[in-house]
Amino acid sequence: MPEANVRHRPAVAMALSLLFAGLGQLYNRRYVKGILFIIIEAAFLMTFYNFLNIGLWGLVTLGEIPMLDHSIFLLIQGLVSVIIIVFAAALHIANIIDARNDARRRQRGEPFPSLWESCRNAWDKGFPYIFVTPGLVMLLFIVVLPLLFMVSLAFTDYNLYHSPPRHLLNWVGFENFKNLVSIPIWKSTFFSVLAWTIVWTVVATTMQIALGLFLALLVNDPRIKFKRFIRTVLILPWAVPAFVTILVFAAMFNDKFGAINREVLSLFGVSVPWMTDPFWTKVALILIQTWLGFPFVFALFTGVLQSISRDWYEAADIDGATRWQKFRSITLPHVLYATAPLLIMQYAGNFNNFNIIYLFNDGGPAVRGQNAGGTDILISWVYDLTFTTNNYNMAAAISLIIGLIVSGFAIYQFRRTRSFKEEGNI
Amino acid sequence: MRKALSLFLMAVLLIGVLGACGPKRDVQQPKGNDQKTAEQDKKPEKLVVWVNDDEKQKQALKDIFQKYTEKTGIKIEMVAVSMLDQTKKLALDGPAGKGPDVFYQPHDRIGDIVLQGLADPVDLGDAKGEYSPTAINAVTYDGKTYGVPMVVETYGVFYNKNLVPEAPKTMDDLMKIAKEKTNAAKDQYGFLMEATNFYFVYPFFAGYGGYVFKNENGKYDTSDIGLANDGAVKGAELVQSWFKNGYIPKEITGDIMNGLFTKGNVAVAITGPWNIASYKEALGDKLATAPLPVLDNGEHPKSFVGVKTWMLSAYSQNKEWAVDFMKFVTNEENSLHYYEVAGEMPANQKALTNEKITNDPLIAGFAEQIQYGEPMPNVPEMSQVWEPMGNALQFIAKGDNPKAVLGEAVKTIQDKIAASGAGK
Repeated sequence: MPEANVRHRPAVAMALSLLFAGLGQLYNRRYVKGILFIIIEAAFLMTFYNFLNIGLWGLVTLGEIPMLDHSIFLLIQGLVSVIIIVFAAALHIANIIDARNDARRRQRGEPFPSLWESCRNAWDKGFPYIFVTPGLVMLLFIVVLPLLFMVSLAFTDYNLYHSPPRHLLNWVGFENFKNLVSIPIWKSTFFSVLAWTIVWTVVATTMQIALGLFLALLVNDPRIKFKRFIRTVLILPWAVPAFVTILVFAAMFNDKFGAINREVLSLFGVSVPWMTDPFWTKVALILIQTWLGFPFVFALFTGVLQSISRDWYEAADIDGATRWQKFRSITLPHVLYATAPLLIMQYAGNFNNFNIIYLFNDGGPAVRGQNAGGTDILISWVYDLTFTTNNYNMAAAISLIIGLIVSGFAIYQFRRTRSFKEEGNI
Repeated sequence: MRKALSLFLMAVLLIGVLGACGPKRDVQQPKGNDQKTAEQDKKPEKLVVWVNDDEKQKQALKDIFQKYTEKTGIKIEMVAVSMLDQTKKLALDGPAGKGPDVFYQPHDRIGDIVLQGLADPVDLGDAKGEYSPTAINAVTYDGKTYGVPMVVETYGVFYNKNLVPEAPKTMDDLMKIAKEKTNAAKDQYGFLMEATNFYFVYPFFAGYGGYVFKNENGKYDTSDIGLANDGAVKGAELVQSWFKNGYIPKEITGDIMNGLFTKGNVAVAITGPWNIASYKEALGDKLATAPLPVLDNGEHPKSFVGVKTWMLSAYSQNKEWAVDFMKFVTNEENSLHYYEVAGEMPANQKALTNEKITNDPLIAGFAEQIQYGEPMPNVPEMSQVWEPMGNALQFIAKGDNPKAVLGEAVKTIQDKIAASGAGK
């Protein structure tokens, strides 16, 4: 049993631990622990020193000799190094805190738990965290690393004329973002594209949700027969891969040769320029997206509708509520409460719905004096600008902006939906 | 809080110190030149070759590679990578030491490839004369030869002998056919082509004096764009007249044209040899090909020629043998074998003028058109041209003034080239 020792200073233990893991523990006379920590830190440094050295050097310089240094590899190695260092720093801080706690105990003369005891203690308390950790590490490399890479590219000059291995990349700071709002070829089109992107997102998604909800309510009505059959039919559009559907529709909407003008509208003596007039192309796109998107919403609502208790409607019937009142006060809040997060994802998905725009008409038809096509949304416009011109830096910069818009919107909405509040706080 | 701050500062300091260190290495050039040649004369055990991922092409190449192994004892490792993905993959695999010695690319990518430093120039020596001059021009970039041409392709006239007994020789012939045979209400057309696709429309611009980039002594001047000059405008007016007269519907796409042609509703179509198989299946011996009809100024329309070419990886350790291998694959005998199995026109001049090809009624027209054609520009700036020109052709099809539309398109191309970071 150690005695109280007022001359033992926690600050010294912390300083020593900061210098090298385990030294503080040695000062605390916890020799086994201290030596263990020293071995771990030494092993870490020996294993990773070279990797981290090159990684950090590469992150700062992005390489010095063309053809020998590859900026992209160096950038990724640098980001990995940063992640490893953050991990190591967290462990190092834990080591310092441990040294301080032990030093205080020694100061007060409290007994120490044995190494074995403290291990068991940590296992008991930290059990969930220990099992979450491997997943977290995976997540870090699968999700966070590519994101960091993309964000980093937005601040480099990575384009066709600065492509490794022949050329090295350079950090250019915010120049890409400055160019975006100052170079006419990008600036002039940005706002018209953004406006259509918003209209497209709101109108197409709302229509698909409204149609899905309407059909789900109809099919859920007890008086409807052959429910299974009807449901199967309504889910069918979902069963065909979207890109096949879109390509088939693109052929059907052709102004002159498509089935819609030729077989359907010709009955009324009308011919609509679906592919050549921007307005009608937009209408066609919204119609197709409604058709593609409603089955999912329909399936979702059908499921949720089953879970609404019959008692509520019976109670409402006794109170003499009308059909509309029952819908307004029972069905709608219930359904929206349960599905809001998924519906928000639908909006976010359509904001970036590259497939349909690209496959239907490739953002066309062309509009004179405008760089983007008449129906290009932000993401398809970026695709065009970057993959025809190989401006990876600009792609990263614009993607960053799109990402900020979408995530800002999503976070705001998530925080306001009840689904994400704790239960009982409704 | 202050502790956290000081820790953070420590970390920053550490990063700064390490960042300043960097790898230790000799400042000397990594590879000594004398050593290199000595090493390269040594015969390698094997060469790695990336080929396009296409069954027929792989089949043809397998035989040829086998012959090379028999001749020299060098094993050829054939790796199938889609032609469009090869440069992306090479940019990563090459530096990692997993790349090929030889890869396969369309010539219009050469500018990009050289900019990225992925390929080395090839010294063809005396063998240069064996290839068609158009093909050699196509693979010449900055005055150096990059790659050994394997296949040439261009587009020409397909005609249906049921509807027209002879190919149109001049533009007047073609217009006459269009006038007589077109009945849009019944889906009957005398003459169809993708007239809103710049790739197919270019010959009519170039035949009157239009050009994409001015070419002087094998170098393209990308600041001199000739797509709005008088010749180009004249060509655009010709194209516009087809839409105005109702010969070609402005909704035309490649799929629609192919569908109508294979149904037998089209007398003459302008498209490329990649359609031979499906057209032949539909029309049998009624199908024939010819070069593009002569313009009213007596010039042949200058179609874009594409050249698929073997290229030498900058990361190859066996450069001399790789070049020897490329020459072997593209010699007359092997080119003809490749033509017979894979059905693509050889870039080898002797093979191209061989009877086997000139007597083939479906290939002969294209083989002749090659000599009037000009290679697509291989500078990287070319990728900025397609979209503005495609849009311009759509406006022309709608009836807008060609001169104004082309002027705008050229302005857009210039802006795009500037915005892409060229010259910085």
